[in-house]
Amino acid sequence: MMELLLKLLNDAAFSAVPAVGFAMVFNVPKRFLPYCALAGALGHSLRTLLLHFGMPIEWCTFAAAALVGVLTIGFAKKHLAPPLMYAVAAIIPMIPGTYAYNTVIALVQLSAQSEVSPELTAEVISNGLKTIFILGALSVGLAMPSLLYFRTRPVI
Amino acid sequence: MYADTQNDITRQVVRVAQLLLAYGAESDLVEEISQRLGQALGLASVEISISSNSLVLTSLVHGRCITTTRRIREHGINMTIICELQRICLLTEKGIYGLNEVRKRVSRIQPKSYPRRYLVPMIGLSCGSFCHLFGGDTMAVLITILAASVGMSVRLAIAKHHFNLLVNFAVTAFITTLVAQMGYHLQLTDTPKLPMAASVLMLVPGFPMINAISDMVKGHLNVGISRWGHATLLTVSSVIGITIAMQLGGLFL
Repeated sequence: MMELLLKLLNDAAFSAVPAVGFAMVFNVPKRFLPYCALAGALGHSLRTLLLHFGMPIEWCTFAAAALVGVLTIGFAKKHLAPPLMYAVAAIIPMIPGTYAYNTVIALVQLSAQSEVSPELTAEVISNGLKTIFILGALSVGLAMPSLLYFRTRPVI
Repeated sequence: MYADTQNDITRQVVRVAQLLLAYGAESDLVEEISQRLGQALGLASVEISISSNSLVLTSLVHGRCITTTRRIREHGINMTIICELQRICLLTEKGIYGLNEVRKRVSRIQPKSYPRRYLVPMIGLSCGSFCHLFGGDTMAVLITILAASVGMSVRLAIAKHHFNLLVNFAVTAFITTLVAQMGYHLQLTDTPKLPMAASVLMLVPGFPMINAISDMVKGHLNVGISRWGHATLLTVSSVIGITIAMQLGGLFL
């Protein structure tokens, strides 16, 4: 139990840093940076918690992105700023970068060898599918509030 | 309403829409803000058609319509400007800003970005935390921080000279991977693969990808597909850089 708590704290701390870093690349105004960090930390640690209970990573990502979506709607209402501003920085730690990286590296290796090897093909297919499904889960989860609740009226 | 007033209002509305698209807002937001701003300034309706590099806007009032087209050139993502434009729209809706005030505010908008002395170490730390989250040891994290900082300063230096974004990504990926290979060659760390995967994560086009899928989900299919194509091209060009660096380092083949 204690171990899980420490793991979650570690997760929250180390996902808040990239959220702020990428928010700065997107030029989010300085006064909103702490909210990006908060949303990023909460989203990523929810995903780790659900992964700990053995759920598949796509569903965990979907739930975490939906949490980020709801949180950022709250922030947006408070500051009168578009919710996407917080949300994209907050989900950056969950983007399936390593899966995408492994997919293309395996693809390049496949084309460098002159014959098709089953191991590399399997790696391309499984990593590529994971990448696409996680990306889909992220952005559909993020859009959840406006798909379900804010259908006919604007968020702010 | 006189014709020149309608002209004036339409110009301001289309300017706002153009800025929003150029600085990376999603299509739904562009449509919503320009329609609300137009109605707040007294137009009966605003219809807008967005494609990947241009927009067409028609304003209608008293049975007269004006249609204008604008070309969009990408300027990179700047949330400060989008936030400012949203605020102008909201204040106009509340009746605080009139047409003259809107014109003044819109013309005063300048793209500001964070100075590189903050950006470079922050991106270094971000990629370092990715490496830590993937389970790298301390030495791997340090290598990642070094590689990502070098990569980010290269990226900013190239961006300053207005090179094509694809060229920029390829060169940045090449240099980042070259630095991150250190773990293999000097045998400093037990997890030499992680710095290479984590340090190029700063090149993942996260914003275009998320924008692309949310555009497609909300029904702007052609804009979404072209943004997806753009994101894919960026990924492919950074993969080219990574591959050349890995072959130079003799890591596969």
